[in-house]
Amino acid sequence: MSSAVELLSDIRQSSERRPFEVLKLAEPLLNTGKISRVDDVWLVYEQVFTAAIDEGQIELAKTILTILHKRFNDSQRVRRLYGMVNEAVGHPSEAKQLYQQMLDADETNVLASKRLVALLKAEGHTKEAISQLVTYLDTHANDFEAWLELCSLYLRHNLYPQAAFCVEEIILQQPANHYFHLCYAEICYTMGNLGTALKEYLRVVELSTDNVRGFYGVKLVADRILELGNLSKKEQQDAGLADAPQPATLQRLSQLATERLVHAYNSAGETSKKTAEAWLKE
Amino acid sequence: MSKHTISLQAYAKAVLHCAKYPWATVHGLLLTEKKDGKIRYVDAIPLAHTWTQFTPMFDVALQQIQLHAKTNGLSIGGYYVVHEDVNVTQLPEFSALLAKTLLGVSDDAVAFVIDAKKLAPESKEPGLIPYVNTDSQWKAVPAGFATNKNGSAEFALENNRVLATAKRLVAERAEVAIHDFDEHLDDVTLDWLQNPLLNERIKTA
Repeated sequence: MSSAVELLSDIRQSSERRPFEVLKLAEPLLNTGKISRVDDVWLVYEQVFTAAIDEGQIELAKTILTILHKRFNDSQRVRRLYGMVNEAVGHPSEAKQLYQQMLDADETNVLASKRLVALLKAEGHTKEAISQLVTYLDTHANDFEAWLELCSLYLRHNLYPQAAFCVEEIILQQPANHYFHLCYAEICYTMGNLGTALKEYLRVVELSTDNVRGFYGVKLVADRILELGNLSKKEQQDAGLADAPQPATLQRLSQLATERLVHAYNSAGETSKKTAEAWLKE
Repeated sequence: MSKHTISLQAYAKAVLHCAKYPWATVHGLLLTEKKDGKIRYVDAIPLAHTWTQFTPMFDVALQQIQLHAKTNGLSIGGYYVVHEDVNVTQLPEFSALLAKTLLGVSDDAVAFVIDAKKLAPESKEPGLIPYVNTDSQWKAVPAGFATNKNGSAEFALENNRVLATAKRLVAERAEVAIHDFDEHLDDVTLDWLQNPLLNERIKTA
């Protein structure tokens, strides 16, 4: 039992979406009633609820909801779960009404705010979702997950500069987290801003040792800049290359990336390794 | 016989890629072989389930797949995408651009949008909407898999067991065995180009 409980706790910590596994792990705990002896029993119930909704097991979700409601009669946190059931069974207007009621009672209700954004997004009303989320971020500017969600909503509309802005906000708050620099590098590359993409990929490999994705990025961008060769002032500006490194430096960066990737691929299988090495030689 | 035939392996892997990340936009490429003017989609190479709109790793993957395809005497004849919003069945703008880069490598490449709603167990159709590029525009072939008045279809699955087999594999959660380029970048020991264990599973399904 304890290892299942530990695993469930790990999944909660990492915020990974693994509904099938959660249900598999929780099943024996629920069936034998052993769940009531778990320290974090209510967190586990909430976790299993969400997994059940994700897997379309609505009856299970409703059963758990009854248990949670019995224990936490007045809870807003439990209340929004009713909204989620409504969303899952295809009654979005009931859900919307509930979330709106919760917000009318308390406009700072984070959970209701987020559910409303998720609902609008699921219904395809991305513009409204963006609007709601921007309002939320006015008061909760250090909620990086909200910024990431806003980034993905902007991307739905192909608004790359706006999406980039969201990641910039997160980086200001969490400059040492390589994940956000990686995200920023990739948006910049997509927008054609090679200079910043290179800087950000370099930051990634600085913050995260032998980050494969990071080194692929360094090599890709360094080689691309070298390929572009001599550009006009305007072309340089457009590609963010006004203060790009010298060709010699770019070559050394490309070589460094190659070395680190070859090293990383030592543990890879035959096909991946051969293909990666062929790519590195090109 | 149809001009475009989709093998069990290609179809099953694309569908399993979708099944592994049902909440995400997911995309990948399809390997093809051409014979007597007919195109056979022999394999699917799953690319990503996150940051699908960003191009750098797509570029790296495409370049590596070109090398891999060449070694195996195949072309990269197709692209597939399923949108995180199940109601979106048009080719998304970013996909149109990515598929366009594919045209530079394979001038008759086809982009397939997967209609997730049609992957349900009770569905009797493949749930693939082909898009072909004419006059620099991607145009849907809405009834691509339907038999026309001559009794044939432009697109077809290789036989009438493909659908059932793919559904069974999804029901059996075979998707745990599929690894895309995103996953490979986190763990290079994962064979994203072939997914050999899954290929075996599909063969014996």
